[in-house]
Amino acid sequence: MILKNKKGDKIISVYWFVILFIVAGAIVYMVISFYGEPYDIREAEAYALTNKAARCLSDAGYLEEEALSVAFKENFVEKCGFNFETEDIYNWRERGQYYIEIDFYDFSTNQGISTIKTGNEALKTDCGLKGEGFPVCLERSFYILDREKNQYQIDILSIVRKTEKNVQ
Amino acid sequence: MRRLVNKKENQRFLSIRILPNSNKANILTQNIIFIILNLVFLSILVIFLFSKMGNAAVLEEKYAKQIALILDSAEPGMIISLNMRDAIKIANKENQDLDNIISIYDNVIKVQLKEKGGYSYSFFNDIDFSIYLNTSSEPIKEYIIFVEDYN
Repeated sequence: MILKNKKGDKIISVYWFVILFIVAGAIVYMVISFYGEPYDIREAEAYALTNKAARCLSDAGYLEEEALSVAFKENFVEKCGFNFETEDIYNWRERGQYYIEIDFYDFSTNQGISTIKTGNEALKTDCGLKGEGFPVCLERSFYILDREKNQYQIDILSIVRKTEKNVQ
Repeated sequence: MRRLVNKKENQRFLSIRILPNSNKANILTQNIIFIILNLVFLSILVIFLFSKMGNAAVLEEKYAKQIALILDSAEPGMIISLNMRDAIKIANKENQDLDNIISIYDNVIKVQLKEKGGYSYSFFNDIDFSIYLNTSSEPIKEYIIFVEDYN
């Protein structure tokens, strides 16, 4: 702030710098809080998980022939190329950070036919809770035919936790 | 009245008074000092902002998560080219071997731009792949990921 009195002498006020410091402080605070916050990619991971599961269940647009078999259900992780091991930090190895649940329904009767579950099922209890510290849950469903033209609805629930590395 | 207001302001505000002088050169000096102080202050602020934006730790996290997401969606047979110019610039500054910026163990990817530190993130896609630094382009700025097959 430059004040000019009648005689024409100039006073450079310290208050000008006080204002500058306040503005700079606000900018520094915003930058630190923005760059200090980790990138949250859990939603993108949940989408990738859902897409991969859906691709695995379909074969040229039809339901994979083995999809409803017990063998497929038991070896889902290996057959679909998943690996839910994580880095050994924050006790992540002991408590799984992923969960995927696939429900098959008869499209005409809406009756459940089969369910595939893999990963840490305990994460499911946190779905629907509001807040940043909870896992990201993603529900998607799609309609598919098998080669005999039977109609199915498939619901996929994907959950990714990894809270410590994605939320501060 | 104006004089009174100025007098009050002078008392109220804690201020640096540059000695009143009718000398034109003095006024010029005052202005120059004022402008220089402002410029110095703003420059420090801008330097701080850029140092935060190009911070090695921020880039390590950004690239580790980006690569993890790419690998999660990757399918056998894909060749992925990844532009890592910012990261390579910092690694060069820190004398970090460019071949060791990205390392993979099990299904965890680690990006390390400095001798100490690094950021690791896991991916769930159980694929076999290899990452190479593309040295054919000048300046070196990208890594090539060859996705081979499911493990």
